[in-house]
Amino acid sequence: MIRDFLVWMAKFGKGPGEYDPSWSDLLASSLNFWGLLEGTHVLSLMLFAGTIFIVDARLLGLVFKKTPVSVVSDRILPLTVFGMIIMVATGAALVFAKPLLYYHNVWFRLKVVFLIAAFINIVVMHYRLQWNMAEWDALPKPPAKIQISAFISVACWILVITFGRFIAYDWYNCGKPLPAWANAIEECKTSADGALDLKGNPL
Amino acid sequence: MTIAPQDFFPQIADWVANLDDIFPGKQIKPWFAQWEVGHILSLIILGGTSILLNLRLIGVGLTDEPPSELHRNLRGWMWAGVLGIVTTGLLIGSANAERLYTSEAFTAKMIGLVAGIILTFSVTLPATKNDGALGPVSRIFGILGLAIFLGGVGMFLQAKLSNPGLWHVISAAALIVLFAARGLTRIIYLGVMLAMIAAQQVMTHIVVKADDYAHLDPVNKGFAWAFVAVILLTAVISAVASGRGREASPLTKGLAFAAILVWVMTAAAGRWLAFA
Repeated sequence: MIRDFLVWMAKFGKGPGEYDPSWSDLLASSLNFWGLLEGTHVLSLMLFAGTIFIVDARLLGLVFKKTPVSVVSDRILPLTVFGMIIMVATGAALVFAKPLLYYHNVWFRLKVVFLIAAFINIVVMHYRLQWNMAEWDALPKPPAKIQISAFISVACWILVITFGRFIAYDWYNCGKPLPAWANAIEECKTSADGALDLKGNPL
Repeated sequence: MTIAPQDFFPQIADWVANLDDIFPGKQIKPWFAQWEVGHILSLIILGGTSILLNLRLIGVGLTDEPPSELHRNLRGWMWAGVLGIVTTGLLIGSANAERLYTSEAFTAKMIGLVAGIILTFSVTLPATKNDGALGPVSRIFGILGLAIFLGGVGMFLQAKLSNPGLWHVISAAALIVLFAARGLTRIIYLGVMLAMIAAQQVMTHIVVKADDYAHLDPVNKGFAWAFVAVILLTAVISAVASGRGREASPLTKGLAFAAILVWVMTAAAGRWLAFA
């Protein structure tokens, strides 16, 4: 179902001719725009991840121990949210440009898993853990449950960044001889490049 | 004539060609992607601390605390970011030396790195440590760093196929000024910028056809200069007239502005290495 949607997305805007490009093709093959999108996605990490790590470091009791957590959050998180909006917008456009390539990529799938985990952690932190924030707001080290949540946040974002970078490498691309688990996870049989076992036999 | 390192240092070509066959390049090569992640994480730490410290000098961000408190808490992280980015950069560079040696964007990146280090250690850290005050030696080094940064921008501008990466620097500058401007200045600035973005889209998609590169290039460059002019004008107005960041002088705010942008330029040149 997801793949069907992505196939539709990849063909969206395509003209009647066999070689007419879709909007997705136009974006992926643009001279500079795709590069600007990709560059913006990477560079806005400085704003997004750079500031969220500092907020998490405060929750872990590593920095700004004399400054209430609420002050650090109120002043820094707007910058983080701004960075996140840029990252989500550019990330969505990048996926739109090459939807099936990402769909059949194990690193992209792992990235999405940890993105979801990071957002669940944000929701849990915001709605379940911070209800008594006034009690620990000014403490140099917040309670253990808050620190655990901050640690999960840092770990998730590091993994999201790591897997995001690995997408550029073709180690596990469909169409190459791959172990069974990789062919299964990436659903290579349904990809345009097909699935090959480690001996190079089509599956 | 290009501006790649090979044009300035042709005598080291053989040495560069062998770098990935000897220590440490040979050992790094199989783990290139993992070291690249280390480079990106270092950039994130450096970027995050640079943004917070320099924005504080400009009068944005964690303004509840004096700049010296931010310095006390973030200086170690900033050092870690700079050391991390230089160390991982040298290591992945040694495993990918020939590519960098022939890249014009790499020249801009290296000039940006020098300017970034000078601005970080002569402006960002001393000015925040002294609650916005900048001594005469720091000012001289700061202006030197600014001049080198502008030289790096000039190099980036000359780097064929990579120079669209300068839009990252212009966009970052535009956002910083948007954060720093106040009241009516901010509203007028935002309106002018949105109007210019719309005008650029009309010019580059309707007036000039999307595949007419001969005419698109000068139009885009013209808009780039116009954006820079509006951004700098608003930055000067904000630095001189705004009530934000009273601890720092307009010169220090200007240098802090450059101290963020220099890392954006260095990172942008690094990213556009891959596209050219």
